[in-house]
Amino acid sequence: MPAKLKIKPNLSVDFAGIKLKNPVLTASGTFGYGEEYAEFVDLNRLGGVIVKGVSLKAIQGNPPPRIWETPSGMLNAIGLENPGVDVFIERKLPYLRQFDTAVIVNVFGYSLEEYVGVVERLDGVLGVSGLEVNISCPNVKAGGIMFGTNVKAAYELLSAVRRATRLPIIAKLSPNVTDITEFACAARDAGCDGISLINTLLGMAIDVRCRRPRLANCTGGLSGPAIRPVAVRMVWQTARSVQLPIIGMGGIMTGEDAIEFILAGASAVAVGTANFIDPRATLNVIEGIETFLREQGLDDIKSLIGAVMA
Amino acid sequence: MPAGRGYHRIVLKAPEAAAVAVPGQFVMLRVTEDMDPLLARPLGISSLPSKSSIEILYRVAGRGTALLTRAEAGQTLSLLGPLGKGFPQPDKTVTPVLVIGGSGFPPLHFLSLRTNNRAQVFIGARNKENLPPISILKSFRDHALNVSIATEDGSSGRKGLSTDILKAFLKKREQNTRFVLYACGPPAMLAAVSRIAEDHSITCYVTTEERMACGFGACMGCSVPMKGGGYKRVCKEGPVFNSREIEWGSVKSSEFGVRSEEFGVRSEE
Repeated sequence: MPAKLKIKPNLSVDFAGIKLKNPVLTASGTFGYGEEYAEFVDLNRLGGVIVKGVSLKAIQGNPPPRIWETPSGMLNAIGLENPGVDVFIERKLPYLRQFDTAVIVNVFGYSLEEYVGVVERLDGVLGVSGLEVNISCPNVKAGGIMFGTNVKAAYELLSAVRRATRLPIIAKLSPNVTDITEFACAARDAGCDGISLINTLLGMAIDVRCRRPRLANCTGGLSGPAIRPVAVRMVWQTARSVQLPIIGMGGIMTGEDAIEFILAGASAVAVGTANFIDPRATLNVIEGIETFLREQGLDDIKSLIGAVMA
Repeated sequence: MPAGRGYHRIVLKAPEAAAVAVPGQFVMLRVTEDMDPLLARPLGISSLPSKSSIEILYRVAGRGTALLTRAEAGQTLSLLGPLGKGFPQPDKTVTPVLVIGGSGFPPLHFLSLRTNNRAQVFIGARNKENLPPISILKSFRDHALNVSIATEDGSSGRKGLSTDILKAFLKKREQNTRFVLYACGPPAMLAAVSRIAEDHSITCYVTTEERMACGFGACMGCSVPMKGGGYKRVCKEGPVFNSREIEWGSVKSSEFGVRSEEFGVRSEE
Protein backbone atom coordinates (compact mmCIF):
# COMPACT_ATOMS: atom_id res chain seq x y z
CA MET A 1 0.00 0.00 0.00
CA PRO A 2 1.61 3.28 -1.07
CA ALA A 3 1.98 6.02 1.50
CA LYS A 4 -0.81 8.58 1.45
CA LEU A 5 0.23 11.94 0.14
CA LYS A 6 0.00 14.89 2.49
CA ILE A 7 0.74 17.70 0.03
CA LYS A 8 -1.72 18.70 -2.71
CA PRO A 9 -0.95 16.71 -5.84
CA ASN A 10 -0.19 18.64 -9.01
CA LEU A 11 -3.08 18.28 -11.44
CA SER A 12 -1.91 20.76 -14.06
CA VAL A 13 -1.12 19.62 -17.57
CA ASP A 14 0.07 21.32 -20.72
CA PHE A 15 -2.14 20.21 -23.55
CA ALA A 16 -0.77 21.10 -26.99
CA GLY A 17 0.47 24.39 -25.59
CA ILE A 18 -2.78 25.09 -23.71
CA LYS A 19 -2.18 25.41 -19.97
CA LEU A 20 -4.77 23.48 -17.98
CA LYS A 21 -4.93 23.80 -14.18
CA ASN A 22 -6.31 20.29 -14.11
CA PRO A 23 -7.00 17.73 -16.84
CA VAL A 24 -10.80 17.97 -16.61
CA LEU A 25 -12.67 19.62 -19.47
CA THR A 26 -16.30 19.63 -20.50
CA ALA A 27 -17.29 17.59 -23.53
CA SER A 28 -18.71 19.67 -26.35
CA GLY A 29 -22.49 19.72 -26.51
CA THR A 30 -22.98 18.82 -22.87
CA PHE A 31 -22.03 22.11 -21.24
CA GLY A 32 -23.62 24.71 -23.51
CA TYR A 33 -21.50 27.85 -23.48
CA GLY A 34 -20.73 27.63 -19.77
CA GLU A 35 -23.46 30.02 -18.68
CA GLU A 36 -25.98 27.18 -18.47
CA TYR A 37 -23.97 25.82 -15.53
CA ALA A 38 -23.32 29.16 -13.82
CA GLU A 39 -25.48 28.38 -10.80
CA PHE A 40 -23.91 24.96 -10.28
CA VAL A 41 -20.22 25.20 -11.11
CA ASP A 42 -17.50 27.78 -10.48
CA LEU A 43 -15.96 27.67 -13.94
CA ASN A 44 -12.64 28.86 -12.46
CA ARG A 45 -12.22 25.38 -11.04
CA LEU A 46 -12.32 23.62 -14.41
CA GLY A 47 -9.29 22.76 -16.51
CA GLY A 48 -11.23 24.09 -19.44
CA VAL A 49 -14.54 24.38 -21.19
CA ILE A 50 -15.06 22.86 -24.63
CA VAL A 51 -18.15 24.71 -25.81
CA LYS A 52 -21.07 23.41 -27.82
CA GLY A 53 -20.18 23.23 -31.52
CA VAL A 54 -20.42 26.41 -33.52
CA SER A 55 -20.86 26.73 -37.25
CA LEU A 56 -20.57 29.61 -39.71
CA LYS A 57 -24.34 30.23 -39.70
CA ALA A 58 -26.98 29.52 -37.04
CA ILE A 59 -28.52 26.02 -37.12
CA GLN A 60 -31.98 25.21 -35.74
CA GLY A 61 -31.38 21.55 -35.09
CA ASN A 62 -33.57 18.48 -35.49
CA PRO A 63 -37.27 18.09 -34.72
CA PRO A 64 -38.15 16.31 -31.43
CA PRO A 65 -37.93 13.71 -30.02
CA ARG A 66 -34.19 14.33 -29.82
CA ILE A 67 -33.38 12.19 -26.77
CA TRP A 68 -33.86 8.54 -25.86
CA GLU A 69 -32.53 6.83 -22.75
CA THR A 70 -30.78 3.49 -23.27
CA PRO A 71 -29.19 1.01 -20.82
CA SER A 72 -26.57 3.08 -18.93
CA GLY A 73 -26.60 5.60 -21.72
CA MET A 74 -28.59 7.83 -23.97
CA LEU A 75 -29.11 8.51 -27.64
CA ASN A 76 -29.27 12.07 -28.88
CA ALA A 77 -29.95 13.68 -32.20
CA ILE A 78 -29.91 17.39 -31.40
CA GLY A 79 -28.66 18.27 -34.86
CA LEU A 80 -25.90 20.69 -33.82
CA GLU A 81 -28.33 23.49 -32.92
CA ASN A 82 -26.24 26.63 -32.39
CA PRO A 83 -26.48 30.39 -32.87
CA GLY A 84 -23.59 30.65 -35.36
CA VAL A 85 -20.02 31.84 -34.87
CA ASP A 86 -20.73 35.59 -34.90
CA VAL A 87 -23.37 35.38 -32.16
CA PHE A 88 -21.04 33.06 -30.26
CA ILE A 89 -18.22 35.63 -30.36
CA GLU A 90 -20.47 38.58 -29.52
CA ARG A 91 -22.80 37.10 -26.90
CA LYS A 92 -21.41 33.83 -25.55
CA LEU A 93 -17.65 34.27 -25.43
CA PRO A 94 -17.64 37.47 -23.28
CA TYR A 95 -19.22 35.49 -20.46
CA LEU A 96 -16.56 32.76 -20.65
CA ARG A 97 -13.74 35.31 -20.78
CA GLN A 98 -14.47 36.32 -17.19
CA PHE A 99 -13.12 33.03 -15.90
CA ASP A 100 -9.66 31.70 -15.37
CA THR A 101 -10.19 28.57 -17.45
CA ALA A 102 -9.18 27.47 -20.94
CA VAL A 103 -11.86 27.95 -23.58
CA ILE A 104 -11.72 25.51 -26.45
CA VAL A 105 -14.20 26.19 -29.22
CA ASN A 106 -15.70 23.19 -30.98
CA VAL A 107 -16.27 23.98 -34.65
CA PHE A 108 -17.93 22.19 -37.54
CA GLY A 109 -19.38 22.80 -40.99
CA TYR A 110 -21.26 21.12 -43.79
CA SER A 111 -18.46 21.71 -46.28
CA LEU A 112 -14.72 22.28 -46.23
CA GLU A 113 -15.34 25.96 -46.98
CA GLU A 114 -17.65 26.30 -43.96
CA TYR A 115 -15.10 24.70 -41.66
CA VAL A 116 -12.41 27.06 -42.93
CA GLY A 117 -14.79 30.02 -42.62
CA VAL A 118 -15.62 29.42 -38.97
CA VAL A 119 -11.98 28.69 -38.11
CA GLU A 120 -10.79 31.91 -39.78
CA ARG A 121 -13.44 33.86 -37.90
CA LEU A 122 -12.12 32.57 -34.55
CA ASP A 123 -8.43 33.04 -35.30
CA GLY A 124 -6.98 35.69 -33.03
CA VAL A 125 -10.24 36.20 -31.07
CA LEU A 126 -9.46 37.11 -27.47
CA GLY A 127 -10.28 34.37 -24.97
CA VAL A 128 -10.06 31.40 -27.33
CA SER A 129 -7.36 28.95 -26.24
CA GLY A 130 -7.81 26.44 -29.01
CA LEU A 131 -10.16 24.81 -31.47
CA GLU A 132 -11.66 21.36 -31.41
CA VAL A 133 -12.57 20.45 -34.96
CA ASN A 134 -15.56 18.13 -34.98
CA ILE A 135 -15.23 15.84 -37.97
CA SER A 136 -17.47 13.26 -36.39
CA CYS A 137 -21.00 14.34 -35.54
CA PRO A 138 -23.31 11.48 -36.46
CA ASN A 139 -26.43 13.66 -36.56
CA VAL A 140 -25.85 15.74 -39.63
CA LYS A 141 -26.45 14.08 -42.93
CA ALA A 142 -24.14 16.14 -45.16
CA GLY A 143 -20.47 16.80 -44.55
CA GLY A 144 -19.64 15.88 -40.95
CA ILE A 145 -19.91 12.15 -41.09
CA MET A 146 -18.16 11.91 -44.42
CA PHE A 147 -15.09 13.77 -43.14
CA GLY A 148 -15.08 11.61 -40.04
CA THR A 149 -15.18 8.24 -41.76
CA ASN A 150 -13.03 8.85 -44.84
CA VAL A 151 -9.31 9.15 -44.11
CA LYS A 152 -8.47 11.17 -47.20
CA ALA A 153 -11.35 13.62 -46.66
CA ALA A 154 -10.36 13.98 -42.99
CA TYR A 155 -6.75 14.73 -43.95
CA GLU A 156 -7.74 17.32 -46.56
CA LEU A 157 -10.20 19.02 -44.22
CA LEU A 158 -7.80 19.17 -41.29
CA SER A 159 -5.00 20.42 -43.55
CA ALA A 160 -7.21 23.25 -44.82
CA VAL A 161 -8.23 24.10 -41.26
CA ARG A 162 -4.56 24.05 -40.23
CA ARG A 163 -3.70 26.69 -42.84
CA ALA A 164 -6.59 28.88 -41.65
CA THR A 165 -5.52 29.43 -38.03
CA ARG A 166 -2.59 29.80 -35.66
CA LEU A 167 -4.63 28.41 -32.75
CA PRO A 168 -3.96 24.89 -31.45
CA ILE A 169 -6.14 22.43 -33.38
CA ILE A 170 -7.59 19.35 -31.75
CA ALA A 171 -9.27 16.91 -34.13
CA LYS A 172 -12.36 15.26 -32.63
CA LEU A 173 -12.52 11.85 -34.22
CA SER A 174 -15.46 9.59 -34.91
CA PRO A 175 -15.49 6.16 -33.26
CA ASN A 176 -17.65 4.88 -36.11
CA VAL A 177 -14.64 3.57 -38.04
CA THR A 178 -12.84 0.26 -38.27
CA ASP A 179 -9.35 1.57 -37.42
CA ILE A 180 -9.20 4.74 -35.34
CA THR A 181 -5.42 4.97 -35.67
CA GLU A 182 -5.66 5.72 -39.42
CA PHE A 183 -7.61 8.86 -38.58
CA ALA A 184 -5.27 9.80 -35.76
CA CYS A 185 -2.36 9.54 -38.20
CA ALA A 186 -4.25 11.68 -40.72
CA ALA A 187 -4.77 14.32 -38.02
CA ARG A 188 -1.06 14.25 -37.17
CA ASP A 189 -0.01 14.44 -40.81
CA ALA A 190 -2.37 17.39 -41.34
CA GLY A 191 -0.58 19.28 -38.59
CA CYS A 192 -3.12 18.98 -35.77
CA ASP A 193 -1.86 19.60 -32.24
CA GLY A 194 -4.05 17.11 -30.42
CA ILE A 195 -6.84 14.56 -30.70
CA SER A 196 -10.20 14.26 -28.95
CA LEU A 197 -11.88 10.91 -28.74
CA ILE A 198 -14.42 9.62 -28.78
CA ASN A 199 -17.49 11.33 -30.18
CA THR A 200 -20.76 9.43 -29.80
CA LEU A 201 -21.33 6.02 -31.33
CA LEU A 202 -24.02 5.92 -33.98
CA GLY A 203 -27.05 4.14 -32.58
CA MET A 204 -30.77 3.56 -32.97
CA ALA A 205 -33.74 2.54 -30.85
CA ILE A 206 -37.17 1.48 -32.05
CA ASP A 207 -40.59 1.65 -30.40
CA VAL A 208 -41.72 -1.91 -31.12
CA ARG A 209 -45.42 -1.19 -30.63
CA CYS A 210 -45.53 1.82 -32.96
CA ARG A 211 -42.81 0.31 -35.16
CA ARG A 212 -41.18 3.73 -35.32
CA PRO A 213 -37.71 4.97 -34.41
CA ARG A 214 -37.54 6.55 -30.96
CA LEU A 215 -35.79 9.60 -32.39
CA ALA A 216 -37.29 11.82 -35.08
CA ASN A 217 -33.89 11.71 -36.77
CA CYS A 218 -34.11 7.85 -36.72
CA THR A 219 -30.47 7.46 -35.65
CA GLY A 220 -28.54 9.30 -32.94
CA GLY A 221 -25.32 9.40 -31.00
CA LEU A 222 -24.90 7.01 -28.08
CA SER A 223 -23.17 8.40 -25.00
CA GLY A 224 -22.83 7.70 -21.29
CA PRO A 225 -21.20 4.92 -19.26
CA ALA A 226 -22.37 2.36 -21.84
CA ILE A 227 -19.67 3.51 -24.30
CA ARG A 228 -16.76 3.90 -21.87
CA PRO A 229 -14.94 0.62 -22.66
CA VAL A 230 -15.04 1.44 -26.37
CA ALA A 231 -13.65 4.91 -25.67
CA VAL A 232 -10.86 3.65 -23.39
CA ARG A 233 -9.85 1.10 -26.02
CA MET A 234 -9.69 3.75 -28.75
CA VAL A 235 -7.64 6.12 -26.58
CA TRP A 236 -5.23 3.28 -25.82
CA GLN A 237 -4.86 2.28 -29.48
CA THR A 238 -4.36 5.89 -30.55
CA ALA A 239 -1.85 6.70 -27.82
CA ARG A 240 0.27 3.75 -28.92
CA SER A 241 0.33 4.78 -32.55
CA VAL A 242 0.49 8.60 -32.57
CA GLN A 243 2.57 11.03 -30.53
CA LEU A 244 -0.15 13.71 -30.29
CA PRO A 245 -1.73 14.45 -26.88
CA ILE A 246 -5.23 13.05 -26.43
CA ILE A 247 -8.37 14.33 -24.71
CA GLY A 248 -10.16 11.15 -23.65
CA MET A 249 -13.92 11.07 -23.22
CA GLY A 250 -16.85 8.71 -23.24
CA GLY A 251 -19.00 8.00 -20.20
CA ILE A 252 -16.74 9.48 -17.53
CA MET A 253 -18.79 9.73 -14.32
CA THR A 254 -16.13 9.65 -11.59
CA GLY A 255 -12.52 10.49 -10.91
CA GLU A 256 -11.53 6.86 -11.31
CA ASP A 257 -13.24 6.71 -14.71
CA ALA A 258 -11.06 9.69 -15.70
CA ILE A 259 -7.93 7.90 -14.39
CA GLU A 260 -8.78 4.95 -16.63
CA PHE A 261 -8.54 7.22 -19.69
CA ILE A 262 -5.33 8.83 -18.44
CA LEU A 263 -3.71 5.44 -17.89
CA ALA A 264 -4.78 4.50 -21.41
CA GLY A 265 -2.84 7.49 -22.71
CA ALA A 266 -5.03 10.58 -22.44
CA SER A 267 -3.35 13.79 -21.23
CA ALA A 268 -6.72 15.34 -20.44
CA VAL A 269 -10.30 14.15 -20.16
CA ALA A 270 -13.74 15.55 -20.90
CA VAL A 271 -16.89 14.97 -18.87
CA GLY A 272 -20.01 14.80 -21.02
CA THR A 273 -23.29 13.07 -20.34
CA ALA A 274 -22.56 13.07 -16.60
CA ASN A 275 -23.16 16.83 -16.61
CA PHE A 276 -26.82 16.20 -17.49
CA ILE A 277 -27.33 13.87 -14.56
CA ASP A 278 -25.40 15.94 -12.06
CA PRO A 279 -24.52 19.48 -13.10
CA ARG A 280 -21.60 19.38 -10.66
CA ALA A 281 -20.14 16.21 -12.20
CA THR A 282 -16.98 17.97 -13.43
CA LEU A 283 -16.12 19.07 -9.90
CA ASN A 284 -16.73 15.58 -8.55
CA VAL A 285 -14.38 14.18 -11.18
CA ILE A 286 -11.66 16.71 -10.29
CA GLU A 287 -12.01 15.89 -6.60
CA GLY A 288 -12.05 12.17 -7.39
CA ILE A 289 -8.79 12.43 -9.34
CA GLU A 290 -7.16 14.31 -6.49
CA THR A 291 -8.36 11.76 -3.94
CA PHE A 292 -7.06 8.94 -6.10
CA LEU A 293 -3.61 10.53 -6.41
CA ARG A 294 -3.43 11.05 -2.64
CA GLU A 295 -4.44 7.46 -2.00
CA GLN A 296 -1.77 6.26 -4.40
CA GLY A 297 0.86 8.55 -2.92
CA LEU A 298 1.37 10.27 -6.27
CA ASP A 299 2.27 13.94 -6.44
CA ASP A 300 1.63 14.57 -10.14
CA ILE A 301 -1.13 13.45 -12.49
CA LYS A 302 1.36 13.44 -15.38
CA SER A 303 2.99 10.34 -13.93
CA LEU A 304 -0.15 8.38 -14.85
CA ILE A 305 -0.45 9.42 -18.50
CA GLY A 306 -0.16 6.26 -20.58
CA ALA A 307 1.01 4.30 -17.53
CA VAL A 308 -1.21 1.27 -18.10
CA MET A 309 0.93 -1.85 -17.95
CA ALA A 310 -0.18 -3.68 -21.06
CA MET B 1 -47.68 5.83 -1.71
CA PRO B 2 -50.69 4.94 -3.89
CA ALA B 3 -53.03 7.93 -4.29
CA GLY B 4 -55.82 6.12 -6.14
CA ARG B 5 -56.71 5.60 -9.81
CA GLY B 6 -53.20 4.39 -10.55
CA TYR B 7 -51.48 7.49 -9.21
CA HIS B 8 -48.70 7.61 -6.68
CA ARG B 9 -48.00 10.43 -4.29
CA ILE B 10 -44.59 11.33 -2.96
CA VAL B 11 -43.85 14.22 -0.62
CA LEU B 12 -40.25 15.39 -0.64
CA LYS B 13 -38.66 17.48 2.04
CA ALA B 14 -36.91 20.14 -0.01
CA PRO B 15 -37.04 23.49 1.84
CA GLU B 16 -35.01 25.45 -0.72
CA ALA B 17 -37.14 24.24 -3.62
CA ALA B 18 -40.40 24.73 -1.72
CA ALA B 19 -39.45 28.29 -0.81
CA VAL B 20 -39.43 29.44 -4.42
CA ALA B 21 -41.54 26.96 -6.42
CA VAL B 22 -44.47 28.32 -8.42
CA PRO B 23 -47.23 26.46 -10.29
CA GLY B 24 -46.09 25.08 -13.64
CA GLN B 25 -42.56 24.34 -12.51
CA PHE B 26 -41.04 20.88 -12.26
CA VAL B 27 -38.18 19.03 -10.61
CA MET B 28 -35.67 16.50 -11.94
CA LEU B 29 -35.66 13.47 -9.68
CA ARG B 30 -32.98 10.81 -9.75
CA VAL B 31 -34.40 7.54 -8.45
CA THR B 32 -31.20 5.54 -8.20
CA GLU B 33 -27.49 6.08 -7.64
CA ASP B 34 -26.82 3.39 -10.23
CA MET B 35 -26.00 4.09 -13.85
CA ASP B 36 -29.19 2.45 -15.03
CA PRO B 37 -31.65 4.08 -15.49
CA LEU B 38 -29.21 6.87 -16.19
CA LEU B 39 -31.27 10.03 -16.45
CA ALA B 40 -33.26 11.93 -13.86
CA ARG B 41 -37.03 12.14 -14.41
CA PRO B 42 -38.88 15.42 -14.92
CA LEU B 43 -41.94 15.56 -12.67
CA GLY B 44 -44.39 18.42 -12.22
CA ILE B 45 -45.02 19.88 -8.77
CA SER B 46 -48.64 19.31 -7.72
CA SER B 47 -48.61 21.28 -4.46
CA LEU B 48 -46.52 22.46 -1.53
CA PRO B 49 -47.94 20.57 1.48
CA SER B 50 -45.77 22.66 3.80
CA LYS B 51 -43.23 25.45 3.72
CA SER B 52 -40.47 22.90 3.36
CA SER B 53 -41.94 20.18 1.17
CA ILE B 54 -43.15 19.55 -2.34
CA GLU B 55 -45.72 17.04 -3.50
CA ILE B 56 -45.44 15.01 -6.69
CA LEU B 57 -48.29 12.97 -8.14
CA TYR B 58 -47.31 10.59 -10.90
CA ARG B 59 -48.25 7.46 -12.74
CA VAL B 60 -45.87 4.61 -13.47
CA ALA B 61 -44.87 5.28 -17.05
CA GLY B 62 -41.56 3.45 -17.27
CA ARG B 63 -38.60 2.15 -15.31
CA GLY B 64 -37.85 5.41 -13.54
CA THR B 65 -41.30 5.97 -12.15
CA ALA B 66 -41.56 2.27 -11.29
CA LEU B 67 -38.39 2.60 -9.19
CA LEU B 68 -39.79 5.74 -7.59
CA THR B 69 -42.76 3.78 -6.21
CA ARG B 70 -40.24 1.72 -4.23
CA ALA B 71 -38.72 4.76 -2.52
CA GLU B 72 -39.10 4.48 1.22
CA ALA B 73 -39.94 7.09 3.81
CA GLY B 74 -36.76 8.77 5.01
CA GLN B 75 -34.78 7.83 1.92
CA THR B 76 -32.72 10.59 0.28
CA LEU B 77 -33.28 11.20 -3.42
CA SER B 78 -31.30 13.51 -5.65
CA LEU B 79 -33.53 16.42 -6.67
CA LEU B 80 -32.87 19.40 -8.90
CA GLY B 81 -35.38 22.21 -8.97
CA PRO B 82 -37.69 23.96 -9.15
CA LEU B 83 -36.98 24.23 -12.86
CA GLY B 84 -38.54 26.06 -15.79
CA LYS B 85 -40.90 29.00 -15.96
CA GLY B 86 -44.27 28.64 -14.28
CA PHE B 87 -47.67 30.07 -15.19
CA PRO B 88 -48.02 33.84 -15.10
CA GLN B 89 -50.16 34.44 -12.03
CA PRO B 90 -53.68 35.48 -13.13
CA ASP B 91 -54.51 39.04 -12.07
CA LYS B 92 -57.61 39.70 -10.02
CA THR B 93 -59.69 41.07 -12.88
CA VAL B 94 -59.76 37.84 -14.90
CA THR B 95 -61.33 34.45 -14.35
CA PRO B 96 -58.74 31.65 -14.61
CA VAL B 97 -60.03 28.76 -16.69
CA LEU B 98 -58.14 25.52 -16.13
CA VAL B 99 -58.43 22.79 -18.77
CA ILE B 100 -57.06 19.40 -17.83
CA GLY B 101 -56.69 16.29 -19.95
CA GLY B 102 -55.84 12.82 -18.67
CA SER B 103 -53.01 12.82 -16.18
CA GLY B 104 -52.04 16.43 -16.88
CA PHE B 105 -53.50 17.75 -13.68
CA PRO B 106 -50.55 18.23 -11.24
CA PRO B 107 -49.33 21.68 -12.38
CA LEU B 108 -52.90 22.95 -12.70
CA HIS B 109 -53.81 21.54 -9.31
CA PHE B 110 -50.96 23.60 -7.85
CA LEU B 111 -52.23 26.65 -9.79
CA SER B 112 -55.82 26.15 -8.56
CA LEU B 113 -54.57 26.50 -4.99
CA ARG B 114 -53.42 30.01 -5.81
CA THR B 115 -56.47 31.38 -7.57
CA ASN B 116 -58.50 32.44 -4.53
CA ASN B 117 -61.45 30.20 -5.35
CA ARG B 118 -62.02 32.00 -8.63
CA ALA B 119 -61.02 29.30 -11.11
CA GLN B 120 -63.30 27.46 -13.50
CA VAL B 121 -61.93 23.93 -13.89
CA PHE B 122 -62.67 21.58 -16.79
CA ILE B 123 -61.37 18.05 -16.53
CA GLY B 124 -61.52 15.49 -19.31
CA ALA B 125 -60.50 11.84 -19.39
CA ARG B 126 -61.15 8.74 -21.45
CA ASN B 127 -63.19 7.22 -18.65
CA LYS B 128 -63.81 7.46 -14.91
CA GLU B 129 -60.71 5.39 -14.09
CA ASN B 130 -58.51 7.90 -15.90
CA LEU B 131 -59.72 10.92 -13.97
CA PRO B 132 -57.47 12.45 -11.30
CA PRO B 133 -57.58 10.69 -7.90
CA ILE B 134 -60.70 11.40 -5.80
CA SER B 135 -58.65 13.37 -3.25
CA ILE B 136 -57.44 15.68 -6.03
CA LEU B 137 -60.94 16.14 -7.44
CA LYS B 138 -62.04 17.12 -3.96
CA SER B 139 -59.16 19.55 -3.66
CA PHE B 140 -60.12 21.11 -7.00
CA ARG B 141 -63.72 21.48 -5.76
CA ASP B 142 -62.49 23.03 -2.50
CA HIS B 143 -60.33 25.59 -4.26
CA ALA B 144 -62.19 26.41 -7.47
CA LEU B 145 -65.40 28.28 -8.23
CA ASN B 146 -66.66 25.37 -10.30
CA VAL B 147 -65.41 21.97 -11.49
CA SER B 148 -66.84 20.30 -14.60
CA ILE B 149 -65.98 16.80 -15.73
CA ALA B 150 -66.27 15.08 -19.08
CA THR B 151 -65.40 11.52 -20.00
CA GLU B 152 -65.26 10.09 -23.48
CA ASP B 153 -67.40 7.10 -22.47
CA GLY B 154 -69.73 9.07 -20.21
CA SER B 155 -68.78 7.02 -17.12
CA SER B 156 -68.41 10.24 -15.14
CA GLY B 157 -69.70 13.77 -15.78
CA ARG B 158 -70.77 14.76 -19.28
CA LYS B 159 -70.07 12.44 -22.19
CA GLY B 160 -67.48 14.09 -24.38
CA LEU B 161 -64.17 15.90 -24.30
CA SER B 162 -62.77 18.55 -21.97
CA THR B 163 -62.94 20.92 -24.93
CA ASP B 164 -66.66 20.21 -25.41
CA ILE B 165 -67.52 21.42 -21.90
CA LEU B 166 -65.07 24.32 -22.28
CA LYS B 167 -66.75 25.43 -25.53
CA ALA B 168 -70.22 25.18 -23.97
CA PHE B 169 -69.03 27.31 -21.05
CA LEU B 170 -67.48 29.97 -23.26
CA LYS B 171 -70.64 30.15 -25.41
CA LYS B 172 -72.71 31.02 -22.35
CA ARG B 173 -70.21 33.47 -20.94
CA GLU B 174 -71.41 36.82 -19.77
CA GLN B 175 -70.33 39.96 -21.54
CA ASN B 176 -67.40 41.77 -19.97
CA THR B 177 -66.09 38.66 -18.24
CA ARG B 178 -62.42 38.25 -19.01
CA PHE B 179 -60.78 34.85 -19.02
CA VAL B 180 -57.31 33.39 -19.15
CA LEU B 181 -56.95 29.76 -20.18
CA TYR B 182 -54.45 27.39 -18.62
CA ALA B 183 -54.19 23.97 -20.22
CA CYS B 184 -52.29 20.79 -19.52
CA GLY B 185 -52.87 17.51 -21.31
CA PRO B 186 -52.00 15.53 -24.43
CA PRO B 187 -50.62 17.55 -27.37
CA ALA B 188 -53.78 17.17 -29.47
CA MET B 189 -55.84 18.57 -26.58
CA LEU B 190 -53.45 21.49 -26.17
CA ALA B 191 -53.71 22.23 -29.88
CA ALA B 192 -57.52 22.10 -29.64
CA VAL B 193 -57.61 24.40 -26.59
CA SER B 194 -55.20 26.73 -28.33
CA ARG B 195 -57.56 26.92 -31.33
CA ILE B 196 -60.54 27.66 -29.06
CA ALA B 197 -58.57 30.40 -27.30
CA GLU B 198 -57.74 32.02 -30.62
CA ASP B 199 -61.36 31.81 -31.79
CA HIS B 200 -62.47 33.59 -28.61
CA SER B 201 -59.47 35.98 -28.44
CA ILE B 202 -58.55 34.63 -25.03
CA THR B 203 -54.97 34.44 -23.74
CA CYS B 204 -53.99 30.81 -23.28
CA TYR B 205 -51.03 29.24 -21.51
CA VAL B 206 -50.14 25.60 -22.05
CA THR B 207 -47.61 23.36 -20.34
CA THR B 208 -45.56 21.37 -22.79
CA GLU B 209 -43.64 18.13 -22.38
CA GLU B 210 -40.77 16.66 -24.31
CA ARG B 211 -38.06 14.16 -23.56
CA MET B 212 -35.15 15.78 -21.78
CA ALA B 213 -31.83 14.69 -20.33
CA CYS B 214 -30.85 17.54 -18.03
CA GLY B 215 -33.81 19.80 -17.19
CA PHE B 216 -31.75 22.99 -16.99
CA GLY B 217 -31.15 24.03 -20.58
CA ALA B 218 -27.91 22.29 -21.44
CA CYS B 219 -28.78 19.16 -23.42
CA MET B 220 -31.03 20.89 -25.96
CA GLY B 221 -33.13 17.74 -26.09
CA CYS B 222 -36.54 19.08 -25.09
CA SER B 223 -37.14 21.44 -27.97
CA VAL B 224 -40.62 22.51 -29.08
CA PRO B 225 -41.12 24.14 -32.47
CA MET B 226 -42.08 27.83 -32.42
CA LYS B 227 -44.24 29.76 -34.85
CA GLY B 228 -41.95 31.64 -37.19
CA GLY B 229 -39.26 28.97 -37.00
CA GLY B 230 -36.75 27.71 -34.50
CA TYR B 231 -37.18 25.90 -31.23
CA LYS B 232 -37.47 26.75 -27.56
CA ARG B 233 -36.59 24.49 -24.67
CA VAL B 234 -39.38 23.02 -22.54
CA CYS B 235 -37.10 23.06 -19.50
CA LYS B 236 -35.84 26.62 -19.77
CA GLU B 237 -38.14 28.90 -21.80
CA GLY B 238 -41.04 26.57 -20.85
CA PRO B 239 -42.64 24.34 -19.78
CA VAL B 240 -45.36 27.02 -19.84
CA PHE B 241 -45.77 28.83 -23.14
CA ASN B 242 -48.34 31.21 -24.51
CA SER B 243 -50.20 28.93 -26.92
CA ARG B 244 -49.73 31.45 -29.75
CA GLU B 245 -45.96 30.97 -29.61
CA ILE B 246 -46.10 27.28 -30.46
CA GLU B 247 -46.06 25.85 -33.94
CA TRP B 248 -48.65 23.13 -33.53
CA GLY B 249 -47.81 21.94 -37.03
CA SER B 250 -48.20 18.20 -37.13
CA VAL B 251 -50.22 18.14 -33.89
CA LYS B 252 -53.76 18.06 -35.22
CA SER B 253 -56.39 19.47 -32.89
CA SER B 254 -58.99 17.55 -34.93
CA GLU B 255 -57.43 14.29 -33.76
CA PHE B 256 -58.21 15.08 -30.15
CA GLY B 257 -60.59 12.45 -28.84
CA VAL B 258 -60.27 10.40 -32.01
CA ARG B 259 -57.06 8.81 -30.88
CA SER B 260 -56.92 9.04 -27.13
CA GLU B 261 -53.41 9.68 -25.99
CA GLU B 262 -52.30 9.05 -22.49
CA PHE B 263 -50.36 11.84 -20.98
CA GLY B 264 -47.36 11.01 -18.87
CA VAL B 265 -43.79 11.65 -18.02
CA ARG B 266 -42.07 12.20 -21.31
CA SER B 267 -38.76 10.83 -20.24
CA GLU B 268 -40.37 7.42 -20.16
CA GLU B 269 -42.46 5.03 -22.16
